[in-house]
Amino acid sequence: MRLASPTGVARPPIVITGIGAVTPLGNGFDTVADALLAGRSGVRSIDPGPFARESRQFAAVVERIPPPPAGTTAVDAGAFAGLSRYEQLCASCVAHAIADAGLAADAPRLRIGLVLGLGAEHLKTWELDSLSGGTEVLQPADDDTLVHRVAGMMRLHGPAVTVAAACASSGYALALGRSWVAAGWVDACVVGGCDVLSPTAVAAFYNLRALSRRSDDPAKASRPFDSGRDGFVMGEGGGCLVLERLETARQRGGRVRGELAGVGMSSDAAHMVTPCSDPTQAARAIARALADAAVAPEQLDYVNAHAAGTPVGDAAEAAAIRLALGTAADRVPVSSTKSMSGHLISGAAAFEAVACLAALHRQSVPPTLNLDDPDPACHLDHVPHTARARPVRITASNSFGFGGANLCLVIRHAA
Amino acid sequence: MSPRSHSVEAVHAACGIGSHALVEARLSEIGPLRDRATPADTPPLPPRFLRHADEQTVVGVRAVLEAMAAHPAPRPSFAGYGVVAAPCRAGRFATAQSLAQARVGGGVAVSPHVVPQCSLHALAGAVSVAFGMHGPNLGSSGGNHAVAEGLFTALSLLADEAAAPAGGVPGMWLVLCGWDREPALDEQGRPTAAASADEPICRALAVAITADIEAGNGMQLAIHLPGLAAVRPAAGPRPTVTDDILALARALAAGRGGFWSHRCPWPAELLLEPARAARLRDDTASPAREAA
Repeated sequence: MRLASPTGVARPPIVITGIGAVTPLGNGFDTVADALLAGRSGVRSIDPGPFARESRQFAAVVERIPPPPAGTTAVDAGAFAGLSRYEQLCASCVAHAIADAGLAADAPRLRIGLVLGLGAEHLKTWELDSLSGGTEVLQPADDDTLVHRVAGMMRLHGPAVTVAAACASSGYALALGRSWVAAGWVDACVVGGCDVLSPTAVAAFYNLRALSRRSDDPAKASRPFDSGRDGFVMGEGGGCLVLERLETARQRGGRVRGELAGVGMSSDAAHMVTPCSDPTQAARAIARALADAAVAPEQLDYVNAHAAGTPVGDAAEAAAIRLALGTAADRVPVSSTKSMSGHLISGAAAFEAVACLAALHRQSVPPTLNLDDPDPACHLDHVPHTARARPVRITASNSFGFGGANLCLVIRHAA
Repeated sequence: MSPRSHSVEAVHAACGIGSHALVEARLSEIGPLRDRATPADTPPLPPRFLRHADEQTVVGVRAVLEAMAAHPAPRPSFAGYGVVAAPCRAGRFATAQSLAQARVGGGVAVSPHVVPQCSLHALAGAVSVAFGMHGPNLGSSGGNHAVAEGLFTALSLLADEAAAPAGGVPGMWLVLCGWDREPALDEQGRPTAAASADEPICRALAVAITADIEAGNGMQLAIHLPGLAAVRPAAGPRPTVTDDILALARALAAGRGGFWSHRCPWPAELLLEPARAARLRDDTASPAREAA
């Protein structure tokens, strides 16, 4: 028996050296961290659009997409303005992450990979084209996918791959990029994901009965773990991170933001749409991430829950956290930042990795807004309404998606 | 400072091959395929499981079934397997139909099935759910480089999983899928060439890849990362996804005499070749990085 992969070789520490975030809570790490720890909501009323199910629509939207910083791309401001909103979001997140890592000047000379979690790139592209009078959905163009177009814009020469696991998509991007950096296939890897709102996506999730219908008070609509939760709030935006080996980051004097210390993945194999009420596989993903990071449950200082605010999903996740953490679940603070950001769908896991980095850097756990009456079926150490100051050295972030995809990331202070 | 070679011809990852199957279906054959009985000695699908599935999911799931049926005895349990599926422009029919319906009926007419059943993850999710596979399941690519991205994703995750302290997955199902040419649709999202002489053909190749090369059929799929300057993009017209799928399928069908190579759109090459001692190197120091 022989394995042609580097089994038994301890993975080198993989660290995060750059962050790009374009979100409903603002842009850039410091702005997002400020908003998360202040408990600000990014949810607001929006234009109902052509396929609105109710007269008053609400969502968490990105106010402004910043252009790439100078030196990160050959695309000038005029050309950037001509890109689709989806392209702008992805390009902006990638470029700002590269600039934040201090790799802009070296990018063309290095093997830098790019992995983007984009769960419905074509569906969104076809829809938005169609709504503006185009016919791509009827006879598609032969264009390359976004990840290749963005890699070209940023002059990246490493592997460029799109991955998709629905609402966990960008978490799988982090997992894949980490494996490339650890194996030495790339010098660095930009990983993350984004999503944009579109009229049929909002209507489709509404028709699935997955969205909150509290249109009378949008900022109160996203209520993860609360007894009165009735679904999630759509959001848009996302984030990208630059991953490198700790050793190479230090050699070049890069700023280390944190370590992506563990990844755990599994599948429920139960249903294409409905969250699995059996917590076994979700708990297995959490346990595998902790084992990968060599972290015991009681060492965790914070869990950023996937909890989107759906009645079934939040309870299933609470059970999974309890199963994975055992008695430590009584003492590990848990919150859902979707209460502030809405659900960024493909971009959610990357955004929530940024939330974990905010907790590590600010030594404070972001709250779950609107958690007025915690559901007994979701009994955990919640952080309702306001941030909780406390030592934070090790965090975990859960992400789950359609098709039964489960993923957990462990992010900690770099040693 | 100029780019220098990375690691020349180092095999960074390779995997064994358990079984494979290619399924080709004309547009008009896909409807009946949704409810067709599964091959002997393969698990039945849940009732009406593929009713709302994308066309590429229907053909891809069938390819997995055929590959399971073709697996040499003793057939392993696939419960621990992961799934990486790389379709090409999946979900277009459903999107077009949903948009047409919404224009007439408003938001209430938007199908709730499009996102969960026709997005990029859907084929991988369907394989995982249909056959009870608990390893990671994810979609990859969705576009012209589906073969390169799908293989790269599957091999790198399999290699990484093999290094996991909690024990990795024993193998993965890799499913590559696409149309030989994109079917044109009318304003209602219906294919215009259905049941005609020039019907488009959907092709799906399912390959069971294994972390243990010696448990496979004597062949291996490998990734070579020879260096930034060493591999140039292929010259001439770019093959379609289904050309790439057919080429790999033919090489797989040739058994130990088969060979296939594929240049990625980045400096890397994928190979199907006889299993051999992989030159494992933890070759992480990029000279380009050091020079920078």
